[in-house]
Amino acid sequence: MNAIKRKRVKTNRPRITRFWAVVKYELLWNIRKKKFLGMVIVAFAFATLGLTLPVILSNMIGQPLSQNPDYAISSGAGALGFFLFALVTVMNSISGEFESGTIVSLLTKPVSRTMVFLGKLFAAFIVLLSTYTVLFLYTTIGGTLVYGPQNNLHLVPLTLLGNIISTFVWIAIVLAIGSLSKSSLIAALGAFGIFIALFISAPIVSAFSDQAWILTYVPGNGASGTLKIINHGDQGIITKSVSTGTDNIAANLINYILYPSSNVTFFKIGAFTPGQPLQIIELYAEPLSLVLLRSTAVAVTYILVFLFISWFAFKRAEVLE
Amino acid sequence: MFGLEFAIETIDLTKRYGHLTAVDKLNLRVKANTIHGFLGPNGAGKTTTIKILVGLLKPNEGIVKVLGQETRGDNADIRLKIGYMPELPKFPKHLTGYELLDIYGKMYGLPKTARREQIPKLLEMVGLKERGRDRIGKYSKGMQQRIGIAQALINEPELVILDEPSLGLDPVGMVEVRELVKAIAEEGKTVFISSHLLFEVEQVCSHVTIIHRGVSLVSDTLQNVSNKLSGPTTLQIEVAKLSDSIVETVKRLPFVSNVSQDGNTMTIELETRDDVRSQISQEITKSGGVIVSMNVKGQSLEEAFIQLVAKSHGGKTV
Repeated sequence: MNAIKRKRVKTNRPRITRFWAVVKYELLWNIRKKKFLGMVIVAFAFATLGLTLPVILSNMIGQPLSQNPDYAISSGAGALGFFLFALVTVMNSISGEFESGTIVSLLTKPVSRTMVFLGKLFAAFIVLLSTYTVLFLYTTIGGTLVYGPQNNLHLVPLTLLGNIISTFVWIAIVLAIGSLSKSSLIAALGAFGIFIALFISAPIVSAFSDQAWILTYVPGNGASGTLKIINHGDQGIITKSVSTGTDNIAANLINYILYPSSNVTFFKIGAFTPGQPLQIIELYAEPLSLVLLRSTAVAVTYILVFLFISWFAFKRAEVLE
Repeated sequence: MFGLEFAIETIDLTKRYGHLTAVDKLNLRVKANTIHGFLGPNGAGKTTTIKILVGLLKPNEGIVKVLGQETRGDNADIRLKIGYMPELPKFPKHLTGYELLDIYGKMYGLPKTARREQIPKLLEMVGLKERGRDRIGKYSKGMQQRIGIAQALINEPELVILDEPSLGLDPVGMVEVRELVKAIAEEGKTVFISSHLLFEVEQVCSHVTIIHRGVSLVSDTLQNVSNKLSGPTTLQIEVAKLSDSIVETVKRLPFVSNVSQDGNTMTIELETRDDVRSQISQEITKSGGVIVSMNVKGQSLEEAFIQLVAKSHGGKTV
């Protein structure tokens, strides 16, 4: 090692410069993670499949593909997509630093733990926003080529916002488990356990129980209902299946802007009697505005609560290794 | 650091992990602009103390002052003036050496122009000029240690804390680290260096604190610690035709505490650890004696350290 005389350097110390350094640190980690790159490839593969499969099938059965001007606006990563994007983005954001020992070097720099935490969150936001934007551009261009001109493209920013809120619910949960356990594996398995339990139980509770309203207060798809749209152009009244959970904020936001006065009706399946047709029982109906407001409030509450738990655990964590 | 007497000061610093007391009422004072060695066997509490100093751990009791400021909790501003290299440092493998220094430099608030100027120099200084654009994941253990030193200096710190900087380095690398530590100190910085390698501390430090089981056993200048611990240095001199007058002349020297004679050999106990051989040989020659051989016998810091640690174990050598 060569001892070289170095000129004394002047430092400017605005907190924003230090914050951006943390964001850059995390961004580089995110975009170079193999699992994140893998997830992006899988997402593009599914988007491509969604675009090309109908074309292949229509050619096989010899029927021309009908126009779908709402294809781009109605497409999204979906519940599993939100969960997986959240998982690959933040599953080792905090716990991975403890596991690899890199937390020692990071936390001895002049950045507070709160700044590190916020920087990591902001980096996750940028990564998700960029990925979802590129995916939407891809779907919009592909949708225009396959299904003709697309409607309501001005609503795309709202769709992105809704999708990011949905993803951030899972991000908050994954981060909280990771910060408490300091283990990426426990964060991944714990969050997957919660996701799969809700993913499986939600349709069962929704279909067979009178208590479907409970689902509107847990993360995920929520309760399933039917959206009754009155005065829908030439078609008069039409109905559309909707889910009301935190994973469906974007879809319900678009529905609300397009059909502001519509209602969501919830049903359950009645007791099965041999030889009798399946009985569908109407439970209750709610304005879409209420459903949207509630799911957004529930999502924001989950985000704030779990992020607070995560921040608190990180702030108090001692670096023993 | 003009006017600052101590770069580090702890008062009754205590850290417990459950029932285990890792640091026990430690009173540590590191003078500004010195190279201060922090010695102790493995598990003595060195790393725990350092982690408290840099804000990674919170003490159960006691006061910690770094560069004159009392540290409480997560105080990022104090860390602006500190450079720290952890024991066996780990850095994100996805970053290149250059990117790591650039990001860390930005965290210290260094402007882009300063970073561009500083980083190549640091990489050259630690011998990683040719590997700066390689990912850290491809670095050897020694290279990670070198980039660890570079990142500890990116902010031109007033206080450099190095935790076992030679760990994992080959002998050449260890010598280079020692030279580097001296060079850092020449720039007017305080260097606090933790090590279990006594010869390393002996070669670079001006002050030393010895810690064992979380308790400070001794803390002073290296010279004073050696004097306190090592006992008298002894010289054995064989003189052709040794006379009583020669013995009396040597006895009268101010730094000589005792002289015994066995045939033509004198055994001289010294009160100092300074090198006084030339003065003694001059006096012997003046008195008409001819020196045949001269041997220095005395405890090294290492022997003294082992003895000290053994004493604190109740007589058992560790």
